[in-house]
Amino acid sequence: MTAAAPGLRVRDITVRFAGLVALDSVDLTVEPGSIHALIGPNGAGKSTCFNVLSGIHRPEHGSVRLDGTELTSLAPHRIAALGMARTFQNIVMTSGTVADNLLLGRHGHSRAGFAATALRLPHAVREQRAQLERAREIAELTGLGTHFRTPVDLLPYGDRKRVELARALCLEPRMLLLDEPVAGMNAAERARTAGTIGELRTRFGLTVVLVEHDMGLVMRLADEVTVLDFGRRIAGGTPAQVRQDPEVRRAYLGAPSPQESA
Amino acid sequence: MSDRWVSGRQASGRRVSGRAALRRVGPARAAGAAAAVLLCAFPFYLDAFWLQVGLFSMAAAIGAIGLNLLSGTSGQLSLGHAFFLAVGAYGYVWLAGEPGPGLPPAVAMVLAVCLSGLAGGLFSPIAGRVRGVYLGVATLALVFLGQHVMVNAEGVTGGFNGRSVPPLEIGGFTFAETDPALVVLGVPFGAEERLWYLGLVLLAAVWFSARNLLRGRPGRALSALRDSEVAAAAMGVPVARYRSAAFVVSSMYAGLAGVLIALAFRGIVPDYFGLALSIDYLAMIVIGGLGSVGGATAGAVFVTALPLVMGRYADQLPLVAAPGATGHAIGPTEAARYLYGAAIILVLLYVPGGLGGLFRRRVRPPTPPVRQPKEQTP
Repeated sequence: MTAAAPGLRVRDITVRFAGLVALDSVDLTVEPGSIHALIGPNGAGKSTCFNVLSGIHRPEHGSVRLDGTELTSLAPHRIAALGMARTFQNIVMTSGTVADNLLLGRHGHSRAGFAATALRLPHAVREQRAQLERAREIAELTGLGTHFRTPVDLLPYGDRKRVELARALCLEPRMLLLDEPVAGMNAAERARTAGTIGELRTRFGLTVVLVEHDMGLVMRLADEVTVLDFGRRIAGGTPAQVRQDPEVRRAYLGAPSPQESA
Repeated sequence: MSDRWVSGRQASGRRVSGRAALRRVGPARAAGAAAAVLLCAFPFYLDAFWLQVGLFSMAAAIGAIGLNLLSGTSGQLSLGHAFFLAVGAYGYVWLAGEPGPGLPPAVAMVLAVCLSGLAGGLFSPIAGRVRGVYLGVATLALVFLGQHVMVNAEGVTGGFNGRSVPPLEIGGFTFAETDPALVVLGVPFGAEERLWYLGLVLLAAVWFSARNLLRGRPGRALSALRDSEVAAAAMGVPVARYRSAAFVVSSMYAGLAGVLIALAFRGIVPDYFGLALSIDYLAMIVIGGLGSVGGATAGAVFVTALPLVMGRYADQLPLVAAPGATGHAIGPTEAARYLYGAAIILVLLYVPGGLGGLFRRRVRPPTPPVRQPKEQTP
């Protein structure tokens, strides 16, 4: 699927929303092929960081480099074309079936334009068929094979989360940003998704950046952890190191808010 | 959107619904073929009035399919559809007529459609900057701008009184009354009969192309824009380009509808292309059900045919005065407006999928229940 896993270098990123500093000179280095977790209490700036990485927010200053390519000046669809795919914290899906959603993820890998599609030109029909096959393979891979034709509205929550993951995989990314991939899932679904993420990494050499509140999952999956609090990076290192860090314990692990322990 | 893909290749869990899908493709195809035959036979049995009603409905359907692509699928509210219809209609009349370059009408027709597309493309930088209701208001400006130009650019548009429409001619065949009358199977073929077939062919082409678009890559990108621009962009869809492409394509359909309307009316006036027409088109796609080609067509027929048919049978309707009657009685046009106002409310309240959704629900079996894993979390 990919040639070489890329490295992500984030340097000195600052994002402000009308006076509120969402990210304050944040540095982040993601090693190629690793699973990197981004943790922190609510409002720490994790999702903002993802939005900067995927080009939705433009930072006030700082640089984001993916394999040496500067991303901060690129439009989101260009960043997606460079091999960066993401999921969203709150499921964002288009109406239609699982297949429709996965085929949307194939957008950048297909070419058929308005005229060719409208007239059903042979190459457009062929392409659609090939993309459908590819989407089906990815659905099988993520355990959505039996739901391929099911309208997403009818799927239970956990499966919809998986559709988002599968749709991101359809971009055949080198780097995958997962915003709370197991939030709201039950224990069995969590374990299943965690297994899928680990498997994807080894199988395709994906680099994964993950925002997650489930500390058990983070400790088990992540090679490295970066901790944010109020927009600042307060710690980083291996899960074991981070767990011992007094600053982290104070900001996050020591006082879990009620909804996180639920 | 993608029922064509349902097939026996499904995993065993969905086999039943796959078979059901095959069973329902049969009747749907048969019904489509029967409708086509019936539509082709109409000119031999119906008088000019009904052919006119059909012709206006077909033209409206083409325009509604275009607006549906823009507002229904890509979620860009447009109150300016009348403007793009006018560009098509006046573009054809000017290009084919005198004063004007006097091009062959078939060429003028194609160019008029392109001209509408160009107008849509020119507007799209504005469309790229405003969203939702604000876009609606911005498109409203187009209608007023169009009205001003139509009334004042007399050299091109004929001013307040409008212009007569040169008949279409394709390869020596004229879509109008000819002197040695054309008689087919004992039925004299005047303008209505000939235009009827033109309308059918155009509507079929528009239906076919719009369905393909909606089911294909561009359609998926457009509906992704409607559901979330951020997610669409993150999936690799160039948002600005697709937003303006939706405007261009929708305007081209509107331009074609405008040409057909001009041909059916045989004369066009600025009054017709006012705000009310834009609202009519919005009513069509809402009544028909946003996002579906069949729905837009059904809505177009409903909104277009209702006032005409009510006008024709006004004397037989209770509480409706004959056209032109004085006094406080409700005229047929007003009555038709009340009725479709009521229809919009009824559709919004009781048929969220619109007329198209109503039809789909009747034809398709209910979706099979989905395996529900035991869930503890909401």
